[in-house]
Order: sequence, then structure tokens, then C-alpha cells
Amino acid sequence: MNFLPMKFSRITGLIVVLLTGILTNNILAQETENELKIVTDPEVITLDVGQELQLKAMLVNAEGEVQPDTMIYFSRARRSLSVTRSGLMKALEPGSYSVIVYKTAQGDNPVMRKNVTVTVNYPKLDRIVFNDVPGKLYEGTSFQLESRVYDVLDFKREDLEVSDYKSSNPKVLDINQFGRINAKSTGKAKITASIEGVTKTHEIEVVSNPVTSIEISVNEDVARTGDVLTLKAIAKDKKGNVVSDAPVVYSFTARPDDSRGEAAPAQIEQNGKFVANKSGLYTISARNSGSVAETTVKINPRNVQREIEILGNAKVTDVPTSDLWVWEGVDGRDYAATGTHVGRGEAFFWDVTDPENMVAIDTITVDARVVNDVKVSEDGKIAVISREGASDRKNGLVILDVTDPSNVEILSRFDDGLTGGVHNVFIYENHIYAINNGRRYDIINIEDPKNPYRVSQFELDTPGHSVHDVWIEDGIAYSSNWSDGVVAVDVGSKLGGDMESIGGSPENPKMLGSFTYPSGWNHAAFPFKSKSSDNFYIAAGDEAFPGGIPAGWIHFFKLNNWEEAEEVARYEVPEAGTHNIWIKDDVMYVAYYQGGLRIVDVSGELMGNLYDQGREIARFKPSVNEGIGPNQPMSWGPQPYKDMIFVSDMNSGLWAIKLKPVQGTASN
Amino acid sequence: MKNHKLFSILLSAILFFLLVPSASFSQDYYVYVAAESEDEVHLIHLDGKTNKAKIAKTIQVGRYPTETDGPHGINISLDGEYWFLSIAHGNPYGMLAKYKTGTDELVATTDLGMFPASMEISKSTGLLYVVNFNLHGDMVPSTVSVVDPDYMEVITDIKTGIMPHGSRITDDGTKQYHVSMMTDELYEINTAGLNVNRTLSLKKNAMKMDGMEDHSDDSKEHKENHEKHMKDGTHEEHSNKENEMKEDHSGHDMDGMKKDSGMKMMHAKPEVKPTWADPHPTKPLVYVAGNGSDEIIEIDTEKWAVTRRFKSGKAPYNLEVSHDGKILVASYKGEGATGIFDLESGKEIAKVKNSRKVTHGVAISSDNRYAFLSVEGIGGEPGSVDIIDLRTNERIAVVETGKQAGGIVFWKQVAP
Repeated sequence: MNFLPMKFSRITGLIVVLLTGILTNNILAQETENELKIVTDPEVITLDVGQELQLKAMLVNAEGEVQPDTMIYFSRARRSLSVTRSGLMKALEPGSYSVIVYKTAQGDNPVMRKNVTVTVNYPKLDRIVFNDVPGKLYEGTSFQLESRVYDVLDFKREDLEVSDYKSSNPKVLDINQFGRINAKSTGKAKITASIEGVTKTHEIEVVSNPVTSIEISVNEDVARTGDVLTLKAIAKDKKGNVVSDAPVVYSFTARPDDSRGEAAPAQIEQNGKFVANKSGLYTISARNSGSVAETTVKINPRNVQREIEILGNAKVTDVPTSDLWVWEGVDGRDYAATGTHVGRGEAFFWDVTDPENMVAIDTITVDARVVNDVKVSEDGKIAVISREGASDRKNGLVILDVTDPSNVEILSRFDDGLTGGVHNVFIYENHIYAINNGRRYDIINIEDPKNPYRVSQFELDTPGHSVHDVWIEDGIAYSSNWSDGVVAVDVGSKLGGDMESIGGSPENPKMLGSFTYPSGWNHAAFPFKSKSSDNFYIAAGDEAFPGGIPAGWIHFFKLNNWEEAEEVARYEVPEAGTHNIWIKDDVMYVAYYQGGLRIVDVSGELMGNLYDQGREIARFKPSVNEGIGPNQPMSWGPQPYKDMIFVSDMNSGLWAIKLKPVQGTASN
Repeated sequence: MKNHKLFSILLSAILFFLLVPSASFSQDYYVYVAAESEDEVHLIHLDGKTNKAKIAKTIQVGRYPTETDGPHGINISLDGEYWFLSIAHGNPYGMLAKYKTGTDELVATTDLGMFPASMEISKSTGLLYVVNFNLHGDMVPSTVSVVDPDYMEVITDIKTGIMPHGSRITDDGTKQYHVSMMTDELYEINTAGLNVNRTLSLKKNAMKMDGMEDHSDDSKEHKENHEKHMKDGTHEEHSNKENEMKEDHSGHDMDGMKKDSGMKMMHAKPEVKPTWADPHPTKPLVYVAGNGSDEIIEIDTEKWAVTRRFKSGKAPYNLEVSHDGKILVASYKGEGATGIFDLESGKEIAKVKNSRKVTHGVAISSDNRYAFLSVEGIGGEPGSVDIIDLRTNERIAVVETGKQAGGIVFWKQVAP
């Protein structure tokens, strides 16, 4: 009777032993494996730049016996420390780096890895280089010295900062740890900068300061926030002669209208440019030694804010809306086209003649999942839509006859060489400019829109280049190229003066210049000649999603010619991220994704952050509760059209709005 | 004797339960699938008891919320702790993303080359080998990026053919195979040496050359092919011929350049357009999908020669050999179907219609019971994962996914 239970018990015990054995074997195998280790020779590695060393790695057991192995060597900083597969290292740049040694799997032994730290010594320092320090200073004036340190291999040592400054005669000239030089009395003195045994000396003669007075003038005594004022300071000697080489330092004190915790009310540059963000009284000083002149300016609120009137919404709530184009049709009515994003390959056509009752009149569906861009020719007859995400992976563009927008017809498709996808397009003088796979743009002749053909391509040759958008104005193609910034290309320039054509054409595009900024977020660009200041600007827009949230701003480059450009201003909404922009009559319309549409006064000279200067005319946050993102704006693109503004919004479709008439007058 | 017999029976039963659980117990099966035009990855769950499947979880992926970044290739780490995803598009480079299985949290990313696609991790080196497909770029040789999956750093890029695809590694981890789609070649990479061991032409008329080893990218044929395909505008996948037919090329050259523009391009279409390679789990064989020649090609890696060619359905794209090495499942991208081959006879034993067009990827469950097929669909249509019971060769479930379901990988099967 007890047999089975007994047997079962014994068998169960046996099974437990068996299973334990299986498990133990696995554990033992791992423990055995752990007794193997990778040993490198040498264990501690220090190299000089340029030095080579053969690293040897071996697999040894607990007894120290070398085991058969296959090792792979890899540098985690290949540009600074190269390593061949067989372990030959070469130090290229100073610093501390890791080399990883892999032991490949053999039989049951898994992959093993060892990190080896390699220190590459910094080369000896070679020299200190000063900025353009003068040999002569006027008594009582100052100069900011800047020092750069180089080593014997001509590497600039960014990690080092000179702070050991000495003057040979502090009574004549003193210098602090930050390199600020003060000319105290006449005479000669040497300043010496030292770091790690390297020194640099420069002799400065302090001469008697002839300046006895300063005169200051400003181009406007009363201005508005955001207006850039130009200061002019003249230093004179006791005879009233101008001392042209006398340095002048500008500064200001502020008494803002709102003083309750208000900060950073203005910005002043040492070239004499001043802009106030806040209204109030500003006293601006120009100083040379003991000579000071002041002027006071009154800054009024800009008072450009206007109310928005919502005219209508053509709701698209089942697919995200992408770009838009609004145009006057050949029949005199007003129409709009909108694209779709991650949808069904549709472009929608709308009659917007009555913006309060925008009506969908046609839909074109192509083999695509993204119709990112839509553009219409100037004569209102031809449209082009971009295709991405085609089911056969053959993307491209489609040319449409929109003469009758209620019956849009496909005239031709163009995909040869464009299969990677066309993200953005532009139509200009019988040519389509099509962004090709994010690498270049193709220029396609559409004189016969049924038979388009490529006439040229424009592509940068920079490493890892990528292009996102292109916009043509006055025969110049402005492309947006992420880290390569805005690139201007002559495709038949109509500009004159210092910016005249260099002989480019659609068949022979010629690069004029490029304008970059450190973030590498350049996504869109819009050139404009300021009607109020005659300055020529390029507005360069970002697109970025740090942490998944839209961010970025509009950068304003002021151009004197294609070689001389300076980033002078920005429009940065701190809580949102930019997308597409349009500038007309010194007003910028910018779709600021989750920040909605922003309408900004960009008249006059631009300097500083326009967002802080009361230049925002209006903001409009489109949203509908049944939208893709309920009650949330995600604005894609704006277009001012006639006396209205149209904006496409990913979450809610197409909107038409209007600025209400100005209420009251500006205070100046 | 009786005791011994009883013990043997019990031990056999225990071993049976231990080693062949799926034969007796229903299981839960999980696969990850990437929806390329939705920037989503879905975790698909199949209940092996009811044969009902559903999306267990959706993970948003990609860099740009307002762009289609294109998740393409997907695979699982050797220990099953992580999944890796190639993102095809970038500015301009794609990237590799690493996620924790189960929680699906993003762990790290690293930049790769142009349009990175399929990948696998070697048991021998522990490194991940991902082909930079460069689907839409110039017709120039591309690379296989080798990534340390722990540090998520590219340790080297191995130069390979034009439009490489289908990165699969032998069971011992020592050889990686992929194909060069535009030069009709199979590439073998030494995973430890991090170099191309040899290449093999897959063209029918190149049979005489098949036995010759080619240890470099600089072979005459490779160079010729390279020159032929430089800036060739004809490198699209042979996939959806119905759609291709809609494109009207009349009136202009295939490359889009006007004839008298002086920029005429050369044309020489590849014959085979291979798109995938998968080594047999136990034999020295590799199977290649001939996307352009409608065939499955068997290569003997000891002879380094093509040994058999199986006629397939239209445009086989991905394929996978079952873990027991008995059958091969191929996606027929050109006809929205799945082909199942008996590898001993080389015969297609079943063709299963898929739920929609453009069949893409294949993943076979670890017990060889199910094949999971990703199907892209067209336009705004959802993609899908079609599940085929490999015992009956019938489709038993369809799970609709985000648009353009592509990369697919089997994760695990567990007892419910």
C-alpha cells in the first residue's frame, strides 16, 4: 500500500536532485566562466599625442594560464584615439579615453568585455595669444584683454583659462584676474599673462588723455519698445577738437514704468545701439575716463496689439493637416489647398471666398501617407503636391491642374530620382524646386506641366548635410539645411547692388552664401527687405523637439551682402516651438506649433528678443474639442492673404482669421 | 525492473514536459512589430489556446513627433531584456534605439547610416550588425554598422554593397549574412574579424563564378555594378506592381533628366534584387529572397555556391527558416501572400493569402507553431500582423496595426 508513495517520494527526490544538477551545472558553468578574465598588457596606458602602442589582451584562467581566445579592440573615441582590430592604438588628441576589448564567445563561454582607460597626455603648452590689444591707452580708460592658449601641436586649449595676470607697474596700469586693464597714470608698463610656465608679455604706454568732454546724441528722444536707437558719442579735447580714437563706453540706467520686479528692461551694444523691452525713462551714458555725457530717452509701449476676429474654420479632424496655400483662382474666387500628415495621401481643396463658410470642393488622393506640402503657381493654374510614404516606396511629386479647383486634375507625376520622398516644394517661374530625400533639391521644368523634366539639382557637399525646405524670392533660392543653416543660391537673381546675380539660373544654380547658427535646428527661412528700415533680413526658423516638446525660435540675420551677415535678433516664445513662417509688409506670421499663430511686428531695425519688446500684434490658438488633439493648437503654417490670415493646424484643419481694426492710437 | 521502468516513464514524462511544453500546453506568444508610417511599435499578443490575438501595447517611437521617422528593423537582445529598433529617417542619418522589453522604456539611441534597416546580434561577439539600406540614396556602396548594444556605440562600419538588406547571423554567431540588392550579391561577414569574408553573385548566369571566393568589395563585378548603378534611378523595391503601373513615365527618361540635358544616366537593372538572407539553424546553408526574380535561392556556404532555386510567389521580400530547419516562410510582397516551403523537397507546400497587400516581414515562434507576418497595406489603410498556424498552414488571426507594418520579431512564448 505504501509502495507507490514511497517510490514516488524517492523518485521525486531523484527528480529534485536531477533538476538541481541541471541548474547547478548552469550556475557552475557561469562561475567557471567568471574565473576567466581578460588581462591587458600594459594595464596602465599613458600616451603622448601621435604615439602608437600595441595593446595585448589575453584570456587567463584562475591559475593565470593563458587561454585560447579571439579578441576585438574598439575605441569609444575613434577621432581621438584610434585602435585597429588587432589592438594597435594611436593617440590623436589629448584626454582620457576608453578602449574596449571583446572576447568573442567560444563554446559555452559567453562574450566577455574589458574596458581599458587610456590617458593621452596634453602636449606642452606653447604660447598665449592676446586679442587685438592696443599699444597705447589713454589715461583713465579700460580695455578687456582676452587670452587664448595653444600647445606645441597648435591645439587651442579650450579647457584652460588664463587668470594669472600681472602688471610690471600697477601704478601705471593694473589688470585683474579677468584680464580687465585699467590705465591709471601715464607711463609704460608691461602686462604679463602666465599659465603652466608659459607667459606672454605686452607693453602698453599710457598716455595723457586729451578728452575733456563727451557729447552724446540719439536719433530719437521718444521711441517705442523694440525700436532700435542709434547713439552717437563724440569725445573732444579742451580745444574742442574731436579725439577720434578715444574709447567710449555706453551704459544706461532705467526707470521702467512697471518697476514691480521687472527685469532686463533694455539692451545696449558698444556700437551705440540701444533697444528697450519695457517702457519707461532710460538715461544713457557715454563715458571716457572722467568725462561723461548723458541723454535721456522716453520709451513708450509699442501698442501694436490688436484683437483677432475668427472668420471660419474648415475642420479636418480625422487626419492631421499639414501645409496650406491660398490663392485667387482664374475665376476670381479665393481657394485654398491643404495637405495631410500620416493620413491617406490626400490633398484637400477649399473654396474660401466666403471665409466664414469655407467649403471643401475637391480631394486629390495619391499613393502616399504624407502630403506634406502644397503649392500653387502665381497664375493660379498649376499646383504641386509632395508625396511621402508611398506604398511602393516610390515617392515624388504630383502636378495638378487647378484651373477649376472644383475639378482638380492630375497632369503628371514625377518620381524618378525622387523616390526617397519629397518633403517640401516651391513653384517659381515655371520650375518646381523639390526637396529630394532630405539631401538636395531638384529643379524641375514645368513649362509643359504634363511633361516635367529635371534641369538641375543643388546639393551641399558638407559632411552629413541635410536639407528640409526651400523658398524662392527674387530669383534666389533660400534653403533650410539644419546644421548647415540657410543657404542662398542664385537661380536667376533679380537683386542688385552688393547682392547682384552671379550668373545663376535654374539650369545652373550658384551658391551665394550660407548663414548658420550653433543649434543646427534650421528648418525654414523667409527673406525680406524691411520696408521701414531698408535693411535686408533673413528670418531663419527652427524645428526641434528636445525631450519630445516643440522648441526653437526665429533667428534674424541682417545682410549687407552675401558675405556679411550678422544674427541680430530673435523671436523666441519660451513655451513653444516654431514651424513655418511668412513675412509680409513688415509683419511676421509664424506658426508656433503648440503656441498657435503669432503675428509679430518686425518693422524697423531689429535687435534683441522681439518677444520681450511688445512686438507681438496678436496670437491665435486654434483648437476644437473634437480635434485630433482636443482643445489644443498645433499650428503648422500661416499665410497672409488679402486682408485675412489663413493658418493650417494639425489638430483642427484650416482657419481664416482677421485682425480687428486698431482701437485707439499708439502713445507716441 | 519495475522501479526502473516506472522511473524511466516518469523521467521521460518530466523531460517531455520540460523540453516540449508547447506540444501539450497552450502558450501566450508575443511579437513586436513596427508600423513604419505611424512611428509606432506594437506588442502583439497571441493566445495559443483560443488563437485570438490583439495589440497588447503600443509604443510611440521616433525623434520628431511631427515627422514620419520610419521605424523599420527590429530585434531582441540575446538575453531578451531589450529590443532594438532602427529608425530609417533623420537629418540625414537614421538611428538605432534601444528599449527595455516589458516596460518598453527608451534606454539609449545612437546614430547610424542612411536608412538603417534589419539587424541581429551575434552570439559570438555580442555585437549588433545593422545594414544601412540607403534605400533612396545614390547608388553607391553602403555599410553595415556594428554596434555595441550595451554602450550603444557604433564601433565600426563595414563597407558593403549597394542597398544592403536582411542582416541575419548564424546560430553560432560567427557569420553575418546580408544581400546587396542592387548588385545581386550575397555578403558574408566575419563577425569577429569585422570584415567581409566573401561575396557571391546570385545571378543565374553567374553560376560558374559562384564557387570563387571574393574577399573584397573591389571585385571586378562589384566595381562594374557600382559604376552601372551610380545615380541609377531604378533602385526601388519590386513590390507593388499595381501601383507602379499607375506611374506614367512617358515623355521623359526614367531618370527624369531631359534627353538633351547632357546628364543622361546609365541603366542596368539587377536581375535578382535579393532582399533577405537567413542562414539555416543547423546546416551550412543560407536562403535568400530573390525579390526581383521571384525565387528563393539556397546557398551552400561550404561550397560557396548556389545549390537550389525554388520558384516562389511574386516578389519574396523577407523570409525565415523555422528553428528546426524544416520549413521556410517567405513574405510575397508583390502579391499579398505568404509562401511556406518544405526545405527538404524545395517545394512550396502552401501559399496563404494575406489580409491586405504588401506583405513585409516574417517571424516564427520559437516552438515553430506560428508564423507572424507583417503586412504594410496601402495608403491610409492600417497595416496588420497576420498569424498563420504552421501545423495547418492556415491564417488563424489578423491584428490591425498602425500604417505600414514592417519590421517584426518574435519576443517570447510563456505559459498563461
